[in-house]
Amino acid sequence: MYVALDTQSEGRLGVSSRGLEGGAVAKTAKSSAQLTNTQLVQLIDRIACHRDRQAFALLFDHFAPKVKAFLRRRNVSPALADDVTQEAMLTVWRRAEKFDASKAAASTWIFTIARNLHIDHFRKAARSSRLDEHDPYLKPAAEPQPDDLVSRSEDVETVSEALSVLPDEQRLVLELAFTEGLSHASVADRLSLPLGTVKSRIRLAMNKLREVLGERE
Amino acid sequence: MTRRGEMLEDAWYMDYAAGTMKSEGEDVLMASHVELSEGARERVNELENIGAAILMMAPANEALPFSAQDLLAMADEEVVVPLSAEPPQEDFVPEALAQFLQRRGKSVRWEFLGPGLKKAMLWTGDDGEKLWLLKAQPGVAIPHHGHNGSELTLVLKGSFWDGDQQFCPGDVEYACEDHEHDIRIDEQGECICLALTRGKLRYDNPVLKLFQVFTGL
Repeated sequence: MYVALDTQSEGRLGVSSRGLEGGAVAKTAKSSAQLTNTQLVQLIDRIACHRDRQAFALLFDHFAPKVKAFLRRRNVSPALADDVTQEAMLTVWRRAEKFDASKAAASTWIFTIARNLHIDHFRKAARSSRLDEHDPYLKPAAEPQPDDLVSRSEDVETVSEALSVLPDEQRLVLELAFTEGLSHASVADRLSLPLGTVKSRIRLAMNKLREVLGERE
Repeated sequence: MTRRGEMLEDAWYMDYAAGTMKSEGEDVLMASHVELSEGARERVNELENIGAAILMMAPANEALPFSAQDLLAMADEEVVVPLSAEPPQEDFVPEALAQFLQRRGKSVRWEFLGPGLKKAMLWTGDDGEKLWLLKAQPGVAIPHHGHNGSELTLVLKGSFWDGDQQFCPGDVEYACEDHEHDIRIDEQGECICLALTRGKLRYDNPVLKLFQVFTGL
């Protein structure tokens, strides 16, 4: 594997660079909100290579409450939100070696896992069928080029900043889609706007985000 | 001048990335498109990064009735069942469609549709939506027709022309109610498409209208 970095060492890439003492990784769960994508990728890699339970505990603290809150905002019942969150986190443990850091940021990977499990539930599809070997993010990792890793790792961290630059009317459409789980047609209904207006807001938002993210590279 | 038709409006990719497609048929067609088209993959990845950013903005205030240790204990108890061998699929079938067929215990069975044309029905949705495969011989023309509903057509193999616009593997054409098509299959080889239709096709020619009774499309 390509990210066989020692996360316990000091330095820019190490988990220990922010408020950690030596190897006492497990104690630092509370500071997990500050983990960068590079650190999250290393934690996933430690599960993949070493079945590292502490690494899993850190990922759990970082993501599980967010996944549940995300599902609850989509009007998923508390019990089902618990089930999906549990299944999503178990998937991270079981499939860590299939994560490909050159294709997706860690949080993007986990977002897609949770989303697909949620779809499975509301499609009443067989529980374990969709999320499997064929998920494009779960393909065996090709050896990524170092440049890929750097650009990919910055994606999600900068996307949230870039979102705040969008005009309110454009950001609202994206928020309704991802937060409340509304299709673009439902967004149009909700806002009493013509379909074409919602579509053009999506297009303009995407162009703006590309522009803003492009400038930062 | 010829143009390449390949991508849909951004709204489609947003619905796919947010997990808000209307039906399982749309899920499968879009997943196949994203699998086969690099442009669609890039677009979806941009949007999934937005999803991940919004996921991470969710408040972490939801209590979970299980801990990381509970999940690890569950994982320890799991008996790993080797994945059953998948039935061989024909080479034009993308993974997303193969999974869908496997989940539904379906196989591709070609039936006569017209001269040089075969169809294979795959799925019918609640509102009369149909997911089906079309196989056409090189050079076949599909006569001038409109739709009483919408149609999404994804090229899996070969290519077709709609007017001066060429559609190659991975490309999708969206046709709404008032869109009139004039389809010609490229001379280079047979063309196989995955189509999702709502409402019946509408032919101008009364003979074809009669013929339609027998084809069910």
